[in-house]
Parts: sequence; structure tokens; C-alpha cells
Amino acid sequence: MSFTPGRRNPRSGPAGDDAPGVPGDELALLLTRVARGDQPAYEALYDATASRVLGIVRAVVRDSAQSEEVAQEVLLDVWRSASRFDPALGSAAAWVTMLAHRRAVDRVRSEQKAAAREIRTATADIAYDEVAEAVETRLERERVRRCLGSLTPLQRESVTLAYYSGYTYREVAALLGVAVGTVKTRMRDGLIRLRDCLGVDQ
Amino acid sequence: MTPDREDPHTLAGAYAMDATDGEDRVRFEQHLAGCESCQQEVRGLREATAALAAATAVEPPAALKDAVLHAAVHTRQLPPMTSQNAEPVTARRARYRGWRAWAGRPGRAGWAPRLVAGLAAAVVVLAVAFGIASYAHMQGGLDQAQNRDHTVAAVLSAPDAQMMRGHVSTGGTATVVMSHRMGMLVFTAADLPALPTTKSYELWLIGPSGSRPAGMLAGSGHGRMVGPMVVSGISGGDRVGLTVEPVGGSPRPTSRLILLL
Repeated sequence: MSFTPGRRNPRSGPAGDDAPGVPGDELALLLTRVARGDQPAYEALYDATASRVLGIVRAVVRDSAQSEEVAQEVLLDVWRSASRFDPALGSAAAWVTMLAHRRAVDRVRSEQKAAAREIRTATADIAYDEVAEAVETRLERERVRRCLGSLTPLQRESVTLAYYSGYTYREVAALLGVAVGTVKTRMRDGLIRLRDCLGVDQ
Repeated sequence: MTPDREDPHTLAGAYAMDATDGEDRVRFEQHLAGCESCQQEVRGLREATAALAAATAVEPPAALKDAVLHAAVHTRQLPPMTSQNAEPVTARRARYRGWRAWAGRPGRAGWAPRLVAGLAAAVVVLAVAFGIASYAHMQGGLDQAQNRDHTVAAVLSAPDAQMMRGHVSTGGTATVVMSHRMGMLVFTAADLPALPTTKSYELWLIGPSGSRPAGMLAGSGHGRMVGPMVVSGISGGDRVGLTVEPVGGSPRPTSRLILLL
């Protein structure tokens, strides 16, 4: 496999929140090389992204064996579809994260549907507590925690239930006993506030 | 699922967190295609979600790396989107396609022509096989088969046709092409393991309100293709499942799902 330096991306995406030591541009560059079948680049990309892929998958899926299975699918999907990454549409970190989160969410939703399970109302508090606990050790976690803390309680619950627990906004509305329209706007406002607090993008 | 008549723009947050599904998601993506400011907003919100994800990072076991790197060696990569493998599209359509492709949900202009071409060819083969079989067995069945083949073709060529493919957990593969607009899907399967004579494969539509029987797969299907089977009455959010049931079928699944698409 060649190690030729990747072609410069004509448009560079917004700065992402990347693994330590691997700036956003570097990740995007790795992806363009991976798209050409560059195995060493794929290994480097794995090293830079696997922990967050597994992390978010585990946050949503919970079961650790299943999480590893889903994470493996995601990471392989990164290899398979690297050519579809477009830096104009977002950072490499956001793209990989999105593939991971989406697949995790698909997994839990398909299981929910398969079992036709009712949503348990008790999860509302648990979700935030568990995430808060998991978010304790690193600076990154501290930063996210601080920013989550700057949201209103309803914004925060809407965001964490949707993102970390993988519920749809309609399910979140049902869990919180709030109108669907309210949850939609809280999610958007909460995420905008989070974006500004984290200092990502623009 | 009750449709919302509000400004779809407000869904940007939910969409960026994958908290939309079914019709909501499709409608928002269509809106997104023509809304520059929404695209910019979703882009920014996605970056925020990436930070949320980074905060959950955990050290993966070493075995995961070995498994992934090994699997990659044996996995063919997707070609990039080019003007050659997509039909001419408007700028708006191209943007929509770009978003969907980026989002891992290829837009129809990108994958559909190739997929439909491939699938149509497969279905023609199937239809021929089926036509011959039914002709040999029962003259009268031919009209029915032809009608069904027309329906199959209509679903495959529906502008909103979505194709899903998956492995059946007990062996074999299944392909579903679904058109929500027509409320129909076409199901085919290949290489399903043979079942004892008292058992049969049953197809299900699994929606928010539970599972509905969608028909029995004809024959054991062992070693060959099953279908194409046309199922109508699809509603938003429906998924397709497969179980093994007693011959004659069950009103509710009585065994574990061996496929969910």
C-alpha cells in the first residue's frame, strides 16, 4: 500500500473536536488516503477514532458485547465508505461520529421495535446521571459537562435523552411529558447553546 | 405518527442528533436540500454532537483493532461519487445527494440507478424462472404471476424506492425494496436454510404499534431464491422481520427474529 500524501482538500471543513494530537485537517487527510485503500492510513485513523466510536456506541447501546460488535461495523464502514466523506459538509470527526451514533441508534431502535417494548419512563434521570458519571475523568468530559450544565434542565434532558440514549424527539417528548413541538425547539436551542459553549464550528 | 405542519427548520437539532426517523427524517432531508442556512446549522450542530461523543471515549480492547484491520483487508471499498456514476442532477438535487451520501444514506441519484439496474436484472431472472415454473405447474397461475411481476417492477422503479439488504441470522441473505409512496415492498431471499416440514418462514411488518403478518415464504427456500414476494399496506416506520413459525403461520411472532431490515 502506498503512503503517498493525500491530495489537499479543496475545501476544508469546520474545525472538529478531534482526538488529542490529531487535528481535524489531519483526520480528513487520513480519510482521503483511506479512500484510496491506504492500510497504514486506516490504522492511524482507527487509532484516532476507535475510542470515541466505541464510547458513543456504548453510551447508546449499553451492552458491552453488542457495543463492540456495532463499533466494529462502524469502523469497517469508515473504511468502506471513506470516499463518500465530503469535507465541505463537516469535519472528519463529525462524520465518523455520526456514522457511529446512527448505527448505534439504529441498533437500539430495531430492538425496541422487534420487541415492541414500551418506553420506560424511569430512564429519564438515569441517562443523565450515568453519562455524567462516565464523563468525569477527562478534560474533554469536564468541558462537555460544563457546557451541558449551562443548558436549561429541559434542554439538557432533551439533548442527553436524544443523543446519549438514542431516543427520537417524539419519544423524548413522551418521556418528559412535554409537547412534541416544545422538545423540538429545546433540542435545537440546547444544541446551539452547546455548540457555542464548546466553541466548535464557525 | 402524526405529521407536523410546523416549520421543518425547527427539526435541525433533533435531526443532527439522529432523533428523527421515518417520515420526519425524509421530510427534513428534503427541506435541507433547498435550505442553505439549515445546512450550515446542521453542520455546526453535528460538530457539537461530535464533542458529545468524544466525551464518552473509552479505550477499545486490542482484539477490536485486530478484527477491524483484518476485516478491512477483505472488504471492498465504495467508489467515490462521480458525475459518471450518477445521472445528471440539478444543483439542488446534487446537494441533497451530497448530504445523504455524507450521511451514509446514499441519495437515489447516486445508488438507485445502479442498484435498480442490478436488482431489475435479478428480478427479471426471477420473474422468468417463476413464470416458467408456474406455467409448467399451472397455466392459470401465469396471469397472476405476470400481474405480480408488473407490481414488482412498479415498486422497483418507484421514485422513492429504498433498498435494504441483510443477512438472515440463521443463514442466507434477504433483500427488500420498499416504496413508502406505494405503500408496498418487494422481498426476496437467497440461500435460506431448509426447515423441517412442520415449519415455515414468516415475514412481518414491524411498526410502532407491533408486528403484523406479511405472508409466508413459499417453499423451504433452501439453496435458492425465494420471492419476489410483494407486500402491501406498508406504513411509515415499518420494518421488515422474518421468523420461523409453524406451517400455516402465526398471528404474532412466536420465535426470535432472524432478520430485521
